[in-house]
Amino acid sequence: MSKLIPLMLIMLLICSYSTATYGDGLVVDKVYHPYVLANEQEVEWRFMSSQTDTYNRLGQRLGYGRSLSDTFAIDVYLIGHRDDNLDFGLSAYEIEGRWMLTEQGQYWADWGMLFEVEKKYRTNDWEVTTGFIAEKEFGKSSLTVNFFIVQEWGDNIPTEMETEFRLKYRYRFMPEVQPAFEVYSGEDFFGLGPAFMGIHRFEGQKQLKWELGFISEVSHSGKDHTLRFALEYEF
Amino acid sequence: MWSNLLNKILTQLLLVSFLILSTEIEAADNTYYLVIENHVFKPSVIEIPPNKKVKLVIHNKDKLPEEFDSFDLNREKVIFAGKKSTIYIGPLPAGEYYFIGEYHPVSAQGKVLIKELKNAD
Repeated sequence: MSKLIPLMLIMLLICSYSTATYGDGLVVDKVYHPYVLANEQEVEWRFMSSQTDTYNRLGQRLGYGRSLSDTFAIDVYLIGHRDDNLDFGLSAYEIEGRWMLTEQGQYWADWGMLFEVEKKYRTNDWEVTTGFIAEKEFGKSSLTVNFFIVQEWGDNIPTEMETEFRLKYRYRFMPEVQPAFEVYSGEDFFGLGPAFMGIHRFEGQKQLKWELGFISEVSHSGKDHTLRFALEYEF
Repeated sequence: MWSNLLNKILTQLLLVSFLILSTEIEAADNTYYLVIENHVFKPSVIEIPPNKKVKLVIHNKDKLPEEFDSFDLNREKVIFAGKKSTIYIGPLPAGEYYFIGEYHPVSAQGKVLIKELKNAD
């Protein structure tokens, strides 16, 4: 872990002093946890709908993932958005890697990294994301933070670098119902709100995870609310 | 827009956090051992002191993998057949914390009993 500290600091410094940029996607998505479980496969559906005073944004993701070792997992996603003509369709595809850097509970906090490469459907537009994930347990509560650096370029989007910050406070009340509070920041957006997550176990490694959140943008006047939910079946 | 300012502040806070949190605090000097044999945890009850971080080394002697799973302890880990694996627990207050082997939940059950130990330091 200590060998990674200079790399972490350099990346954070770069992004700390980069100019403010404005992106084009939905910031509210999901707060990642820094853990990978060996022998695991998953299919996932994420839904994000945000309503402003003038329009509605809709985003959905379908994904499949599997762990390649007890510390690294890979996921692929099909991403759909509602376009300017109000038609919903495939807008991008993505490959994602999650790397568990530390054993859960070994250090003061648990650490992981995230790598994503996204290509827009039918256009030569790209987005690469690198991020750190950290989680700290406090008894039955846990605090999870995600910090992402997003680089975008292509034929139809300006070359730019963005930063995103996500936070989740979770109380492990019972497996099926775990209340949470989430914060999302990035792309000229700062939103927060309540969330719930839960898990239902079937036999063996089969389990269904669900997440539901309602995030309100608070830095601008006017309405900007996002409802998000995710279903994840692990097997 | 003050959302940009907030984003900058959060970034700076995270930078400082990295400096602090990246310090390696090696958890446990207390190590406990658990064996999985015939899809049963042995011993099935482990007593550890309260408010201390401990290291639990699990040796799976079976020919099939097992998954240590505990909502109470917030731990989930696959232990491959014939291999040893380490789980870090705590610090936690006194109480009973149940765990199962997710692949054989009927036979593989146990609990961590956290209480003041008479011979503890």
